[in-house]
Amino acid sequence: MVSSRLAWARPDFPHPDPRPGITGKNVLTKEQLAASPRLIGLFDSVREIPEVLDGIRCNCGCTAPPELRSLLSCFEGKGMARDCSICQGQARLAVRLHKEGKSLREIRTAIDAKFR
Amino acid sequence: MTFRFVALAAIAAPGILSAQIRASELGTVSQVIDGTKITLEYSRPRARGRETLFGTKAVKWNETWTPGANWATTFDVNKNVKVQGLPVAKGKYSVWMVVRESGNWTVVFEPDAHRYHMSPPDSSSKQVRIPVRIEAAPFTDVLTWSFPELRMNGGTLSMQWERARVSMNVEVEPSLAMTFPAGEAAAYAGRYVFVEKDSAGKDKTPTTFTISHEDGTLKGQFTPNDPYLKKFALVRIAPDMFAAAVYDKNGQIYEVLKPDMVLEFKRVGGNLTFTIRDGDDVLYGAGTRQH
Repeated sequence: MVSSRLAWARPDFPHPDPRPGITGKNVLTKEQLAASPRLIGLFDSVREIPEVLDGIRCNCGCTAPPELRSLLSCFEGKGMARDCSICQGQARLAVRLHKEGKSLREIRTAIDAKFR
Repeated sequence: MTFRFVALAAIAAPGILSAQIRASELGTVSQVIDGTKITLEYSRPRARGRETLFGTKAVKWNETWTPGANWATTFDVNKNVKVQGLPVAKGKYSVWMVVRESGNWTVVFEPDAHRYHMSPPDSSSKQVRIPVRIEAAPFTDVLTWSFPELRMNGGTLSMQWERARVSMNVEVEPSLAMTFPAGEAAAYAGRYVFVEKDSAGKDKTPTTFTISHEDGTLKGQFTPNDPYLKKFALVRIAPDMFAAAVYDKNGQIYEVLKPDMVLEFKRVGGNLTFTIRDGDDVLYGAGTRQH
């Protein structure tokens, strides 16, 4: 359980507003995740709640806007979330809290508390 | 062209002469403490066989000297800190020392960060001027800045050259409050039945987890005792969310296990429960408070 992987990762830009009508169509598919089969379920879960992930800042510190708009972006395009445990952890927390009925505001609070 | 001018030109054109071997090679030391990043950049003079440097033409007594060479040593910090108890606002400074044969030296943080070593600043109210004690140290050939001690909320910044060492206590702004109000502790304190999950997600034999309020801090402990965690602090990171923080042998917190050990509390029908999850949101176990 011991890690200091977040010591340097404290981006200071705000959470983005989710884009109206955002979809999960650009989230990587299982075919694109052939080399990372254990992540297919997570990417599938992200694809189902793009309106949530698009309203969350990624705290991994690997990149920042404009290249990376939101946590959703980490699961699209080059799919940096494939190789980033912080992106994966944030998304797993967001997916679970969304299933528990938490609001976007509550999810942001929890993610910042745990990962910032 | 004088030697001095040639030397200055060489330093001013690093792109052309970057492969040049220098008497005082450029060095950096950087340290992050609880999200505060401190970086010193400095050229590193060498004693080169000289036994004595301070009080000689190398560094004269009462001189305002940059503890480095060429362009003045810089101190760059991304958040406000305190050095020897004196506030230093975030920013970049050139660093100088008033060296004295007896008594304290004075470390000067000068807001004009880009100054040549032959242009020491005059004293001004914009500077942070810090009296420091000189300690005897083993002979050090290459001037060295370092952080030889680190704590949760700061560390020691040290400059060492020849047989002199200057050590400064640096305090950073804490990102988390380690204390917990006594009046709120009852909402969490008590004995819990804790069930850990095995690697297959199945329940292990229930154990006991106890939350107490001691010395102004909320603390947790498993029974049987976890040899790594022992009695650890519960640091509130959000409403009903706590991170575990472990103590060293001196009773100082040295690591906050965030995101790797986070407790989330819930109140359901008069019962208080909590879960422990890691950074991947994997459930480590769950507890229920006993009445």
